[in-house]
Amino acid sequence: MVQNRNKLIELFIGNISNAIVHEILERAVGAELVADKYRKELALSFEIAGRYREKINPVNRSLPDKDVDYIKEKIMARVKSELITRISKGYDNIDLELIESLTDKALKDVKIIDSTVSV
Amino acid sequence: MDQIYIPKNRVGFDIGNYVTIRILKEGDVEEPTEKLCFYGIKRLEPIKLEIIRDVFEVIDKYIDNYKNIIITGSFLENGFRFNDVDIIIVAVGNVKSERISENIGNKIGVNGHIIVLSGNELAIGLETDPLYRMMLSKCVAKKRFFYKTRQTINYKLLDLHLLKSKTFIDNFDILRGKEKYDFVRNMISIYLFLNGNDVTVEVVNKEIKKTFGIEIGKIKDNILDKKSFIKKYKLIYDKSFALILKGIEHGSK
Repeated sequence: MVQNRNKLIELFIGNISNAIVHEILERAVGAELVADKYRKELALSFEIAGRYREKINPVNRSLPDKDVDYIKEKIMARVKSELITRISKGYDNIDLELIESLTDKALKDVKIIDSTVSV
Repeated sequence: MDQIYIPKNRVGFDIGNYVTIRILKEGDVEEPTEKLCFYGIKRLEPIKLEIIRDVFEVIDKYIDNYKNIIITGSFLENGFRFNDVDIIIVAVGNVKSERISENIGNKIGVNGHIIVLSGNELAIGLETDPLYRMMLSKCVAKKRFFYKTRQTINYKLLDLHLLKSKTFIDNFDILRGKEKYDFVRNMISIYLFLNGNDVTVEVVNKEIKKTFGIEIGKIKDNILDKKSFIKKYKLIYDKSFALILKGIEHGSK
């Protein structure tokens, strides 16, 4: 199925956001999570985001600043919204300050941002 | 034709199988083979029993201080529709799982997917994680173990586990059939667990069939009606997430 660039970017954002929410919650749960080795086999959001990234041009170098700004802003907003839903229900120990650094790291890992540039 | 009678649940024999009966001579009796422990399995193809013994033999060469070896997953389903053999080694310390897996592959011609857990991890997994309960409701173990432990609902852990299945909704078109089945199974096992149901392979598959009105094989073969499947999926996902948030709100773990 041929998907246009904007659609691919939206799907990419959804998956990366999910991966970051997962990582922050994993840190919040901490030592209680000792036995998740079965789910390592599930296709993870980050891996799926990578599948979309491979279809977004330019594939082998960072995206234009305009795209980067849009993607980063949207990921951060989505992650924050997901986490705030939980915090509002009394979920403690969620570190919202991790959102930006984890977003930058994820975007570098998939070459949306140039990994040599500090953000 | 003569008939012979054997215990009803004898693994490896089906009613109506043809067998040869002959008188034993001196030296015919082989060394008794090690008895395996079966959980939730009515019958297993003899070739699979051989494979399991081979797997145990390879592991025995590498580790001697393990607590148990458990075989689980699609390998134990009827037929030969499996890609690898899921093996849980219950042990503490450094286990060279990659090397063991490679040797298992060489010996049996099928990849061994090894998960190493401590006894404590296994116990916590069984108590709090529906997927562990489900996987171990149908297994073959080298040694006897108790898999029917109490169920403890930890809402934060279930939230984390359920989040993985969120991937399904946006990525329907890109996911393979087996991946779809894994996401559905993960979500349904959590839903059943949250509602206090026992979670076994049979119960989960039955619930999937009931909820989606479709055979498991069709999900694995990726023959799904996208619109109606996602609609039903989202309904269960949202219900499960609402239960989790409610649990968190009420101060449970």
